[in-house]
Amino acid sequence: MIRILTFALALLCLPVALFAQDLQSLLQTHQKVVAKPSRKSVGPVLDALVNSGLPQVPGFLEQWQGKALYVRKEDGVFFYTSKGSEGLTLIDISSGETSATVDAKTMKQVKPNGGVRKAIGAALVQFQLSDPNIERRRKAVESISQKLDASQIAPLKASVAGEKDAALKLRKERLTGYLTARFGTDSAARVAAIEALNNDLSVQGRAVLSQILEAELVAAETVPDANLAEVVTPGSSALSREAAYEILVTKHGFPPRVSDNDIRLALEANVEGGKAGGVPVVQLDDLQKRELAYDTLAARGLVQTRVSDADLDRAFGEWGFYQTYLEDDTAVTAAAREVQKTIQTKVSLNQAADLGLDAISLASIYFLAAVGLAITFGVMGVINMAHGEFIMLGAYTGYVVQQFITNYTLSLVVALPLAFAVTFAAGVAMERLVIRWLYNRPLETLLATFGISVALQQLAKNIFGTQARPLTSPGWLDGAWIINDVVQISYIRIAIFVLALLFLGLLLFILNKTRLGLEVRAVTQNPRMAASMGINPDKIKMMTFGLGSGIAGIAGVAIGLFAKVTSEIGSDYIVQSFMTVVVGGVGNVWGTLAGATMIGVFQKGVEWMNPSNTLAAQTYMILFIILFIQFRPKGIIALKGRAAGD
Amino acid sequence: MQKSFIAQNPSVLWFLACLGVFTLGVTILSEATGTGVISTSFVKTLGKVLCLCLVAIAMDVVWGYCGILSLGHFAFFGIGGYAVGMWLMYARTEAIVIENLASRTIPPTPVEVNEAIATQIFGVVGSSDFPLIWAFSHSLTLQMLLVVLVPGLLALVFGWLAFRARVTGVYLSILTQAMTLALALYLFQNDSGLRGNNGLSGLQNIPGFEAVPQSVISMGFFWASALALALGYVMFARVLSGKMGSVIRAIRDDEPRVRFLGYHVESYKLFIFTLTAVVAGIAGALYYPQAGIINPAEIVPIASIYLAVWVAIGGRGRLYGAVIGTAFVSLLSSWFTGGGAPAVDLGFYTIQWTEWWLVLLGTSFVAVTLFFPGGIGRVFDKFARKSS
Repeated sequence: MIRILTFALALLCLPVALFAQDLQSLLQTHQKVVAKPSRKSVGPVLDALVNSGLPQVPGFLEQWQGKALYVRKEDGVFFYTSKGSEGLTLIDISSGETSATVDAKTMKQVKPNGGVRKAIGAALVQFQLSDPNIERRRKAVESISQKLDASQIAPLKASVAGEKDAALKLRKERLTGYLTARFGTDSAARVAAIEALNNDLSVQGRAVLSQILEAELVAAETVPDANLAEVVTPGSSALSREAAYEILVTKHGFPPRVSDNDIRLALEANVEGGKAGGVPVVQLDDLQKRELAYDTLAARGLVQTRVSDADLDRAFGEWGFYQTYLEDDTAVTAAAREVQKTIQTKVSLNQAADLGLDAISLASIYFLAAVGLAITFGVMGVINMAHGEFIMLGAYTGYVVQQFITNYTLSLVVALPLAFAVTFAAGVAMERLVIRWLYNRPLETLLATFGISVALQQLAKNIFGTQARPLTSPGWLDGAWIINDVVQISYIRIAIFVLALLFLGLLLFILNKTRLGLEVRAVTQNPRMAASMGINPDKIKMMTFGLGSGIAGIAGVAIGLFAKVTSEIGSDYIVQSFMTVVVGGVGNVWGTLAGATMIGVFQKGVEWMNPSNTLAAQTYMILFIILFIQFRPKGIIALKGRAAGD
Repeated sequence: MQKSFIAQNPSVLWFLACLGVFTLGVTILSEATGTGVISTSFVKTLGKVLCLCLVAIAMDVVWGYCGILSLGHFAFFGIGGYAVGMWLMYARTEAIVIENLASRTIPPTPVEVNEAIATQIFGVVGSSDFPLIWAFSHSLTLQMLLVVLVPGLLALVFGWLAFRARVTGVYLSILTQAMTLALALYLFQNDSGLRGNNGLSGLQNIPGFEAVPQSVISMGFFWASALALALGYVMFARVLSGKMGSVIRAIRDDEPRVRFLGYHVESYKLFIFTLTAVVAGIAGALYYPQAGIINPAEIVPIASIYLAVWVAIGGRGRLYGAVIGTAFVSLLSSWFTGGGAPAVDLGFYTIQWTEWWLVLLGTSFVAVTLFFPGGIGRVFDKFARKSS
């Protein structure tokens, strides 16, 4: 506080100071401190230097901080130096002109320690705030914001007007607001600054408020004369009886409570002739007997008396517990409290929005993973346990493509269709070789495809190893779209969302508007009738299976972008994919969308209630699905009539 | 005249005879009771295989006879293991703790003993209190009851919900798979009260038998497993013979028709589902003391699918098929993954079976499903038919 006052005073007599002295003579008045600065002594010197208003001061401070200042041993005059061939060339501090070259032995380097350099740095900030170089200004603002300090208000305020960069100016104004709110001297100004934080959702703004509202728990016999936040009753959820009594023990000299372990130790220390406190040792495996023995010892004055619950009640009857603000100004704390409340409401609203975005992004991942399955399982009634391995196949395809094409954008453009082609081929091969023979035995399809899944997974492990392989996303997908300090979403997730939308559209188009889609729907509804209309059901089934598998491959590339590619990448999603299809309703792309959305929202919702535990979220989600199936066994969107099959 | 149960099912006698000869053979050759040709660890492996055979015949009954492809029976197996593991772990830790506390000047109170045990068991997940589900862990009798009750009740509730909603076929498989995954994920949490992914360990040390060498204990478990398998086989053969068996097979073949004939299909399915879950729990309770450790990774859905694979390879719809398939695949699997199989040098590439075994298993499984739906058991079918 004093430093601010002296600084303000000094600013007033600035013109006088300008004429008063030059830098060297000013330094000479503090010669000893400048030559051998210590953390404690350096403060006044720095103030004097800053207050002098001399144009060379910033430069000098930098040199001083950078250990480039030398002192001449004989008369204690300060110089900058440059190393020449025959010793040190001296540079005059005030004028910056080179003078004589001298032997290095006659000079002594000034080496301020870390603490001093920090103090010098803090003094330098105010000059850097109006430095012509924007990078340095930015750095100075950052250093202030990292450690808010009362002394920075004035220089920061002074530099705002001259700031040309709009963003930096805004940042400076905000910082000034924070500083005023926390350290301002004028109550009205502080309240105004606090109220200005009303729309500020940043972590720093919230931290400023909670720092203003910092409170201390005190015990007192009468209501303390302080800025009272609230009265706390011991035994409430805010303050347990034990914690309340602990305050009395540490601050007000009450005797500490005796724990069961203390009793044991005390008894062990007082065993005499097979007895402790008059009770035989063998009987002491009972807590009540132990307490009895301890009380006997206490009566003899050997140990401290036990503090009973009644003692606690008595103490709490006489003493009250109060949360008192460290801040004395009631107007300030009231304003801060009010603003904190509104901000909290806003923050939770925004968090809900953020959660919504997360849920949508999770839903689009599930949708991508499951929509291929919805086609093979839903349209054809075939359970493909190897669907997860098709996802894996797609992800590895993306990885392999990146080994050959180093431009990540280009490799992605190549990988997406290639992954589709590879998994399409794999799907068609599997349909021809295995599934075709099992169309009327669905349970055996499940097991046969499981066999394929096991074999494919192990094969991937043999080829690519067990360690995770990176599938790097292109640079323009890095980072996140930051809406405000609470709501943000990474670009990759947006891209996946867009991809999911694209596929939804594409599938709807293929199924509803093309010849292939028409034939697929015909075969699904009645294969024999379709066959008699000249459609080849075998070919259609093959194509459908290929299409479903191909989409799994593309989903694999998308999932690989944000998760590491391992041979287990598919099996992580397979159960969720089945769930999505079953919940959504089989045989319907819209159903899959509904299922994915519901599962995504539900999972994020549970995570929100218990953020530390994603495993629990999945457990509850599955239990929820099992119950959900009870009420809608055919899923959210159930096919009706003949298409429903059975 | 009605033929007797044995006369109707000659395979039961054959099976019991084979099992008896096998048990006798292992007894004669083991370290503890015979010549020592078979090592203790191999006796344990054989005992574990017998337990797996037991859970496999339960799987065969529910899938091969009743047509419910449950992907949750290994979860019931795991629950049985956890239930018995809780007692084993509690009792053993209690013995250790009491021994440690005996050196104190003052005898410990029950509360102190309990706290010390809890710290010992749950220290690894950062807790020092007994969770509620350990309330019965001090009593072997109660925990043995839980081995039967927990899988039974879980199967009852789940089955009732599922069958009532007429969830059938692949939907039911997916639902049971989801249940298994939910259980596994729940157990993976550290605050599940069952030590998270550390699981329960040291189960091979049986409290009260510290002085008995492992070779003898393993023989005891081997006999117990053989006995359980024999009893389970006879019980299931009994259940599946007669009118009840016919109804169950009819449900597999055409559920709506059986319903239209007036049978309450759901009750039959629920009975079979629950009974097999209980048997799976018992098999698990016998298996894990021989394995020594149980953790949630044991009960992830894939384990249940493997169970179905064993049954399918052995040939479903025949109890002996399940036993043959399980014994064959699990012993072969441990031979291949244990490095017992010689590597095949193809000139340009050497096939290490530890890496390629799963590929072989997966593809041969596909081949069995496609070309030999009857599995290995089919070879024995003709044999069984001739003798009857």
